Amino acid sequence: MSVNAFRNWKRCLWQVPAVLVLAMGLGWITNTIRSDAIPLVADWSPEARLVGPGGRNLAISLNEAQKGFRKKALVFIDARPAEEYASGHIRGAISLPWDDVDARFMKATAKLSLNAPIVTYCDGESCSLSKDLALFLIQSGFTHVRVLLNGWSRWKKHGLPVGTGGEHKNG
Amino acid sequence: MACLWEPAENIKMGNSLQAAGPSSPKLPAWLPVAARLVLAIVFIYASIDKIRHPAAFAQALYNYRILPGASINLVALTLPWLELLTGILLAAGIWMPGAVMLSTGLLVVFMAAMGLSIARGLNVACGCFSTNGSESLTFWTILRDAAFLVPALYLFRATFFKDTHTAFLR
Repeated sequence: MSVNAFRNWKRCLWQVPAVLVLAMGLGWITNTIRSDAIPLVADWSPEARLVGPGGRNLAISLNEAQKGFRKKALVFIDARPAEEYASGHIRGAISLPWDDVDARFMKATAKLSLNAPIVTYCDGESCSLSKDLALFLIQSGFTHVRVLLNGWSRWKKHGLPVGTGGEHKNG
Repeated sequence: MACLWEPAENIKMGNSLQAAGPSSPKLPAWLPVAARLVLAIVFIYASIDKIRHPAAFAQALYNYRILPGASINLVALTLPWLELLTGILLAAGIWMPGAVMLSTGLLVVFMAAMGLSIARGLNVACGCFSTNGSESLTFWTILRDAAFLVPALYLFRATFFKDTHTAFLR
């Protein structure tokens, strides 16, 4: 390696950290003086980001959902496609697939009062169907809607009661 | 060892003068300047929207699902300035070893992140030049990044391995 090239390797050894520090400094300084600043560390966990229109957090814990299920105090609504619902769902849950919500909304929620305690769920950490459905229900006038994150997987994992096949008649 | 610098006048006179090195191809002398400017423009332009909309950029970063949650905002605040500074340094020809290392490194990291996103089937916005989600991440986005890598790797080679063009080295 020639002298020049070697010297450049040495130079970049201090120049890269220097630019990095400068960038961090500029980012931080501009953040403190701007009106649309963001917190240096924010909670990006799925639960924290599950916020409804009123700023209320929509997440319900598995524990609470389980208790509500046993007391029959909650209405579970499955936001996944119908085939997934048929192959397994929370026992007694209503099927209201998000991908077909306009067509099925009226029928699925016909027997529900607007203040019914609803819990939507789907499957997987990054599944947003449950949140989308919950927001839709809230906008449609339902006042007690919450979301069980990663609901189906966690429900199964804890061996909680499930059902299969077509819709159950939910009183 | 003879000084490997060539006076600026000689470079302006036409074809590049060969430094002491084996089989260096006769490339035009404006090539390093062109490479620097192309990269500088790309980086500076890419940084602007991200500096103006930190919250949206943080959201774009989150969508890649790569960075740990606690680091997202810090990266969202630092990265745009890193791009801006790198672009300015490249344009001015100052701190070239650092600028070349950073520009190449950033492009490689971006390509890796984009590749990972596509491999995982995520349908995310690129977040490369705009933060409003309009820019989808597709295979062509990666190809575009690979195109940017061409001048970057050329500069990288010239800076850290060969001395065919020393006019822009300090």
